[in-house]
Amino acid sequence: MKTFLRIIGGLAVLGVIALLAFIFVPVQISKPAQELAADWQPEPGQGEYVMHASDCVACHTAEGGEPLAGGRAIASPMGTIWSTNITPDAETGIGEWSYDEFRAAMVDGIAKGGTHLYPAMPYENYRLMKEEDIRALYDYLMAEVEPVKNEVQETQLKFPFNLRFGIRAWNWLALTHDAGFNPVGTSDLQDRGQYLVEGPGHCAACHSPRTPFMSQDGVTADEDSFLAGGVIDGWNAPALRGEDSAPQQWSVEQLAAYLATGRNAHSTANGEMGLVVEHSLQYLTDEDNLAMAAFLKGMDGAEVEAPETFAAKGVGAIEIAGADDAGEATASMLTEANPDMPLGARLYSDNCIGCHFASGKGAAEIFPELQDNHMVTGSETKPLISVILNGAEVPGTAKRPMTLRMQGYADRMSDEEVAELASWLRKAWGNDAGQVSAAEVAAVRNADASH
Amino acid sequence: MTDLPGYPSRRSFLKATAAGAALSGLALPASAQQTPKPVSLDDYQREYLNADEWAFIMAATARLIPSEGDGPGALEARVPVFIDRQLASDYGTADDWYMEGPHDASAEPARGWQTPLNPAEVYRQAIPAFNAWCQETHGAAFAELSPEQQDASLTSLQNGDVALAGEVREFWGLLLSNTKEGYFADPQYGGNHGMQSWVYIGFPGARAAYREWPERHNVKYPLGPVSISGERA
Repeated sequence: MKTFLRIIGGLAVLGVIALLAFIFVPVQISKPAQELAADWQPEPGQGEYVMHASDCVACHTAEGGEPLAGGRAIASPMGTIWSTNITPDAETGIGEWSYDEFRAAMVDGIAKGGTHLYPAMPYENYRLMKEEDIRALYDYLMAEVEPVKNEVQETQLKFPFNLRFGIRAWNWLALTHDAGFNPVGTSDLQDRGQYLVEGPGHCAACHSPRTPFMSQDGVTADEDSFLAGGVIDGWNAPALRGEDSAPQQWSVEQLAAYLATGRNAHSTANGEMGLVVEHSLQYLTDEDNLAMAAFLKGMDGAEVEAPETFAAKGVGAIEIAGADDAGEATASMLTEANPDMPLGARLYSDNCIGCHFASGKGAAEIFPELQDNHMVTGSETKPLISVILNGAEVPGTAKRPMTLRMQGYADRMSDEEVAELASWLRKAWGNDAGQVSAAEVAAVRNADASH
Repeated sequence: MTDLPGYPSRRSFLKATAAGAALSGLALPASAQQTPKPVSLDDYQREYLNADEWAFIMAATARLIPSEGDGPGALEARVPVFIDRQLASDYGTADDWYMEGPHDASAEPARGWQTPLNPAEVYRQAIPAFNAWCQETHGAAFAELSPEQQDASLTSLQNGDVALAGEVREFWGLLLSNTKEGYFADPQYGGNHGMQSWVYIGFPGARAAYREWPERHNVKYPLGPVSISGERA
């Protein structure tokens, strides 16, 4: 009995020591994936380019705030996370950070002083960036960005998520991949695309599914679940691989145009993807957007033919495609304009057909097609409902300066009517997705009203 | 217009059809929409017109677009509501019109608005003057006259045979055009109730999408109209 108690006591002591060690022993930070020469200097503009490719602005700039000065609220399932000031202000920014501390934040998710960052910071992805890019980014932030004094609100999540040391254990699950970039090696172009998609672009943060522990399921190109589609805040980030995915349905040229301008022959980017185009992708070179498109196209092994350029200047008359075989029945029903058509079709005729047309094909670079549109048929119905109620906006870019705006129909349709219309759209032109209820519409309408 | 004995009038036909539809218990097709039944014109809460003016507008619009014609009349389309609401709005007060003088009541019509009065004031001053003329000529205010006398009075007004002050010389033109507007405008302004006038003339409303139709010659476009606020008929 005594021996037994002694063993229990010993285990308890060991447990306490282990817990204290877990909390207080500093985490080993990753070494540089690649040693740079002592006199290495980034190319002029390289750091700013990496900043754009990594879309730092998206999170580290508050609405109406100074660029990179932090303070943006980022909704997470655990609560609101406030982004930090990454201008080189000594007091409120990262002015006092050494390069090694900066790299640790990018690669291991550890801030100066050893605190764990919440994984809203996509260090799972930035971990794959090249040493020279991280270094160029650091030099840019430190030397070329004006320091902004901006004390941001401290993130205060509820217990147990306020115990940041717990992220250490989470990192054991999430950071199983080595730091640095491992190209697949199909072609230089596709390797460049892979790098941008995996690393700075952090596409997997939205487009890969999540594990039960909320870490990204599929961080690198060698995993089958990589970019297999995710759900963020009730919005589908569609799969970027598989037969029905956009990269397989669209040409490399169309994909690159979508990335660089937010619009192509099939669709337009709105919501979160619109912001990515606005803040990040439009600033990348044509070659890099083509590289990402080529990589996505070839990810499942397809033959890749990349054009030299895309989204040429001087688009001519708008082309309006007729219905295809799958959409013919719906298109001719709408064209006949019979008053006995279903209510959803009547609502489409009264409200939508002027731009999206009887064919449901829309018009290239302006009106997205609704046939086979992932937002229309997605598992999440909130985006479709939200666009019908509130409209949508596609940002203008250097190549396509016109901002595209769809009006909202919240005043023109009741919840029941929006539900009828959305349900009808999800079955029209060969679409095959489930019904939308008036209660779902009411939920989106009320959530918008309370903002 | 009086009904000839033994001939079915449009009104009796409508009554019979409505009764038939009610009896048959047929549901409306999904595309049509139940327009909520509005308050009757007698109980309508006026925004600008007083009781005498309202009685005049009711009687005058009913003669300009009579209910006994081929289509819905001004009263079915609730044209008086449209006029009342317009006169209470920035149209009635001419908010965004150039209203500075000089005003020359003898100027040619092509010279535009030649009165310091706004439309609401024109109605306010002209209706009692016209009623007085009716009293003198036919022995009663306009609303009390027989349809034949009313038509004759309006004809006199149109021909300029009613001596009105120069400041309200636009009255006939306003009355006629406001009546037409109330009949054909979008229902959100109070007239064209249930889009009846659009159904009558076959205008499909604010749909703005007929790409496939210009080349379909001699085929009737079958779908009913939609209003700006999304009402269907």
